[in-house]
Amino acid sequence: MRKVFDDYRALSDQAIQARSPRRAAFLEAMGKSLRSGENRAFWLPYVLSLDMCMKCGTCAEVCPLYLSSGRNALYHPVYRSDMLRKVYRRYFTLSGKLFPKVVGAEDLTEEKLDAMAENFYRCTVCRRCAYVCPVAIDNGLLAREGRKIFDAIGIAPDELKEKGTRLQLEAGNATGVKTPAFRDMVEFMEEDLQDTRGYQVQIPVDKKGAEYLVMHNTGDYPAFSETVMGAAEIFQAAGADWTVNSPDTGINDVVNYGVFFSDTEFEKVARAQVRTVRELGARVLVIGECGHAFEAMKYLIQRLIPAEERPFEVKSILEVYDEWIREGRIELDPAKNPEPVVYHDSCKAGRLGGLYEEPRRILKSACLDLREMTPNRELSYCCGGGSGFAIMSKGDFLKFRMETYGKIKEEQIRQTGAGVVALACSNCKGQFRDIINYYHLPVRIAGISELVANALVRGRDRRSEGITFAQAGGGSAAREVREDHDHRGVVASPAREGDPRPGFQERA
Amino acid sequence: MGLWFVIGGILPYLALLVGVGGLISRILRWARAPQHLHWELFPYPSTPAGQTGELLAEVFTLRSLYSYNLRFWLPSLTMHYGIYLVILWMGLSALGVRDTAVAGAAGGVLAVAGAAALVVIRAARRETRQITAPVEYLNLALVMAIGLSGLITGWFLQPEAFRRYVIGLASFSPVLPAAEQLAPILFLEVFLLYLPFSRMAHFAAKYFTYHKVKWGEMAR
Repeated sequence: MRKVFDDYRALSDQAIQARSPRRAAFLEAMGKSLRSGENRAFWLPYVLSLDMCMKCGTCAEVCPLYLSSGRNALYHPVYRSDMLRKVYRRYFTLSGKLFPKVVGAEDLTEEKLDAMAENFYRCTVCRRCAYVCPVAIDNGLLAREGRKIFDAIGIAPDELKEKGTRLQLEAGNATGVKTPAFRDMVEFMEEDLQDTRGYQVQIPVDKKGAEYLVMHNTGDYPAFSETVMGAAEIFQAAGADWTVNSPDTGINDVVNYGVFFSDTEFEKVARAQVRTVRELGARVLVIGECGHAFEAMKYLIQRLIPAEERPFEVKSILEVYDEWIREGRIELDPAKNPEPVVYHDSCKAGRLGGLYEEPRRILKSACLDLREMTPNRELSYCCGGGSGFAIMSKGDFLKFRMETYGKIKEEQIRQTGAGVVALACSNCKGQFRDIINYYHLPVRIAGISELVANALVRGRDRRSEGITFAQAGGGSAAREVREDHDHRGVVASPAREGDPRPGFQERA
Repeated sequence: MGLWFVIGGILPYLALLVGVGGLISRILRWARAPQHLHWELFPYPSTPAGQTGELLAEVFTLRSLYSYNLRFWLPSLTMHYGIYLVILWMGLSALGVRDTAVAGAAGGVLAVAGAAALVVIRAARRETRQITAPVEYLNLALVMAIGLSGLITGWFLQPEAFRRYVIGLASFSPVLPAAEQLAPILFLEVFLLYLPFSRMAHFAAKYFTYHKVKWGEMAR
């Protein structure tokens, strides 16, 4: 692919519509984005960020991409935002029309348009810059608004749109798996659990009226199955009335790639998800280990879909585990996870979702030696998998993710000396899996569910301590389980290889 | 004399009208924006006291710059304190408080020194030069122009003259000040005329970027 911005390409020539004139359409779509009635979702933060940047460069001092690239001018957050601002000033402000040179307004050309489209897909919208900006200007939001304009003129990465939101709306999930294959996978997991754990774990599918509907990223079933299996063990151990759902019920994939590039796509997916939960009649929608899905269902839909249209509670699976551990509904023995573990704050779960203490409380209960990366929590560095980057690897894009964002995380992990990186987000898992392979790190990734499941004190263990399932809130499914096991063999199992999608197709 | 009357007797009203009116209309435009989707960043202060505390800390210490962009912090803090002092000088002097000359002079000196330092660090580094348009220097030049002209003409040292002038304007019978004070008054008028259309309105924008966007409203 030809070079249009830097040495990488997120959008193919076909996606970028390289040979057709797009300038007029872009300006028209941008004009719409600037009218409050036509950009209700984000108009205020958008115009404030366009108009009020003081150009102090504080954002650059904290941007993982800018810092890890050796302060590459192309990756300066203001340089990216200014690509959009220059067009805004030139075509949509009086000062830019009268004195373009003075206010930094520039004509839009087809070449600039290519470069802009690519650059908007260099930012993971981790919003670390927005957190520290003295004026709270949001370069991440501007990147996303830019993507929205491009999407409106038909320019978006295939991974996020054609093979993302569109596939999800059509097939029920962004992996394209159909119900029979989905059920096969679930059965396979039940067998796998029987083999490795030595006891029966049931994964209810499509149960109507269950208290908890646990919706994972469907890509987790093939790619990070330990997370899905771990969750099943935990929900069973807690005696919860729960279910997962198949594509037969509507949407069975908690992801919503619209979060990354399009309000229109976001809304379509969110509404379809809400409809599915309603029809299944679940009281609580449990968001699996997926950062952006939590942001979407916990926050973004609040002002989009009226409360009466979504008569269910939304909880992160982390919040559920945290509650159960504190209530004593599940009991954990941290000695079962003796290796040093470090938790990486997913941007979406942490900075954008507020889940900082829940995962730490959980992991302290589940692991003997929990360590911290520095910086962490609200100043955590994005891993580079955000915004769907973890599933984008055409051209040299994998190298881009590894040599920039990935480099920081590699260094951070090394410094902790941890053997396990605990993750609560599929994009993070995909990115860290690649980082570990790329840098040959002697560590493995683990989902929170996997670590918790491994630390579960079950059956005879609990009875010997005078605790019964009934007291601990255990249900019938849990009571069937009577065996006791050594879980060490499972702890050491390496993360499965392969990209979520190809891996999935092999098994489907 | 005609020009002097325009600058001293007519333009002040126009500048105030445009400056204050423009700012209010811009604020109203933001305030009437459709409610955007939740876009807050955690953690954030969720009580009014907590939010006010953080706001004041940011306004008076420029904490974000101190923590993450130290190079800009002292020059920016100096300039802002200079501006705060000049505004304080104007308010107190207009109210008839005596001995405000120190505040005026100190404000002028700090504003000029801070703005000049900001020009230097902006121009000296490739990174900031690359993200700077001429308008950034113009904004700083305007601050320097007000400060310098106020100092050189002795305007900041004459609170009584300023009070007489304000009272004249307020009673719609402007008393023109001494001709040498034309410069600071003119620059101040330019500033007011320019304010609502520029990013100098960031002090008002900050309320929205913090209270309405970054801080959300869902306490955790």
